[in-house]
Amino acid sequence: MTDAALPLQSEADQRAIAAIRRKNAVWRRILRDPPAAIAALFLIVIVGAAVLAPWIAPFDPYASNMRLRLCPIGGARCPDFLLGADNQGRDMVSRILFGLRATLGIGIVAVLVGGGLGALIGLSAAYFKRLDQPLMRLVDVLLSFPSILFGLAIAAVMGTGLFSLVVALSIASIPSIARIARGAAQSIMQQEYMEAGRAVGLGDGALIWRYLALNCWPTILIYMTLQLGQAILLGAALSFLGLGAQPPTAELGSMAADGRKFMSIAPHVSTLPCAAIFLVVLAFNVLGDALRDALDPKLRQ
Amino acid sequence: MISLPVLLGVLLIGFLLLQVVPTDPATVVAGPTATKAEVDAIRNDLGLNQPLWVQFGRYLGRVFQLDLGRSMISNRAVVDEIALTLWPTVELMLACLIWAVPLGITLGTLAARRRGTVIDRAIMALSVMGVSVPVFWVGLLLIQYVGGAGLLPFQGRNGPIWTADGFLSIILPAVTLGAVFVGPVARMTRTSLLETLGADYVRTARAKGASDWRVTVRHALRNAMIPVVTLVGLQIGFLLGGSIVTETMFAWPGVGRMAVGAITSSDFPLAQGAILILAVGFMAINLAVDVLYAYLDPRIARG
Repeated sequence: MTDAALPLQSEADQRAIAAIRRKNAVWRRILRDPPAAIAALFLIVIVGAAVLAPWIAPFDPYASNMRLRLCPIGGARCPDFLLGADNQGRDMVSRILFGLRATLGIGIVAVLVGGGLGALIGLSAAYFKRLDQPLMRLVDVLLSFPSILFGLAIAAVMGTGLFSLVVALSIASIPSIARIARGAAQSIMQQEYMEAGRAVGLGDGALIWRYLALNCWPTILIYMTLQLGQAILLGAALSFLGLGAQPPTAELGSMAADGRKFMSIAPHVSTLPCAAIFLVVLAFNVLGDALRDALDPKLRQ
Repeated sequence: MISLPVLLGVLLIGFLLLQVVPTDPATVVAGPTATKAEVDAIRNDLGLNQPLWVQFGRYLGRVFQLDLGRSMISNRAVVDEIALTLWPTVELMLACLIWAVPLGITLGTLAARRRGTVIDRAIMALSVMGVSVPVFWVGLLLIQYVGGAGLLPFQGRNGPIWTADGFLSIILPAVTLGAVFVGPVARMTRTSLLETLGADYVRTARAKGASDWRVTVRHALRNAMIPVVTLVGLQIGFLLGGSIVTETMFAWPGVGRMAVGAITSSDFPLAQGAILILAVGFMAINLAVDVLYAYLDPRIARG
């Protein structure tokens, strides 16, 4: 029942309803949960830092200076490098900022592409009943398959590199988004306005875009955010194995792999990128749990 | 039901992998002194002029006869290479599951029983950290601070697990791999147990005067195990990913390390075989999980 159906509502009632709505808004519930609020704030800062990396990085992440090689954090040789230098004498602060930019960028592009395809599959499955079975079978197959194997297979066929990495991560994010999109679209399909839209003669395209997609996208977008943590972790693992980003690219996974030879003499070179990946993925997972709880009424009690 | 299309898909990928080999097999077979006519004749003999789908059919036939070709680098049969690496991988996964799953179930039960307390919060915080940590970081830290200190070996496999040397050498890889596995198991056990603890038969058991722990363990936990087994099954893929990284880091002579090595050195037949066996192994585990369900829930077997 909508508000318009209740003409007798006083202004005070309407204000009260609006207040309850605001109180229950998803983002407000999340802000009341301290760990989730901290995670959200942290991610805003991190994404900001990654976007602004070229402007805020103190040094060129690719400028090497062999005299500063493996300079430790706070070392006298490199007073300007707050987090020391790596095995090529490059500033770790700048490398990590650019590394975050690459790692997050790869994850975001992959989730947008894979999630977009997944959403298309899910919406089509919900709208065209005949396509439902075959499309969802395909999704089951993708879902049952370990995503790291996509990474291996695609690196084997297309060669290692950033492009293969993004393709593998995109494919890995298709199935879960397709399921979510289908679920969301199926509840919209039950709504009377779908019937009404068809009655006034709207075509399939218009119905899917204007009614289904525009009503489902908030849910889909939220689940794409949840997917990001996993995509980043997988991307970093593939890069660590040497199947994704290649040195000297500043990417956190490949930086971690690059530095592991120096673990015993300069542990910071490998540990800092690892810690950065951990914190970003942790923040996405904490926020994701809170979002899931906020969106799932069954768990709310 | 799901396995057949997946299997075909995997075989197709394996086949395509062999198509991208930069060298022409006919030229290789013919040798450097062959004329163009000879090469063409050999190409005809090998069936390389046939349409791709015919070649794919022949490829399937060869795979079912366990002929996966020869490694381009060692020139040994791919099947032999796989046979050497398969057991170490299985060993590593079992060594990981054997400590991580019981620990995860214990922690999850503890968290569910002490719901809302500091213990619950601490266990859940640990579990979300567990799923967020890159497995290679755990490995790097263990190699540095445990292996580097000379406490345990961290380079390669020193023998089968039942020998003392072999057992010692598997500890660090198994701990690394298990560290990312405890969290999801604990979490799933907690959620699932909280659901079953509210069920009617649990109330009945309580009414009969069964002790608190007896109710939890005998009545609720066994029923709560079904989602946990599902999760362990689903997470096998995740475990596979972890084991590829772990094997590579600890120079563990398993299939995952072989696959990564084959891909980075462009040894296409070997890469194809390794990916194939990883995928088939994964499907076999899923099948085993389905069988385990029937044991845990007799209703599934009858239905």
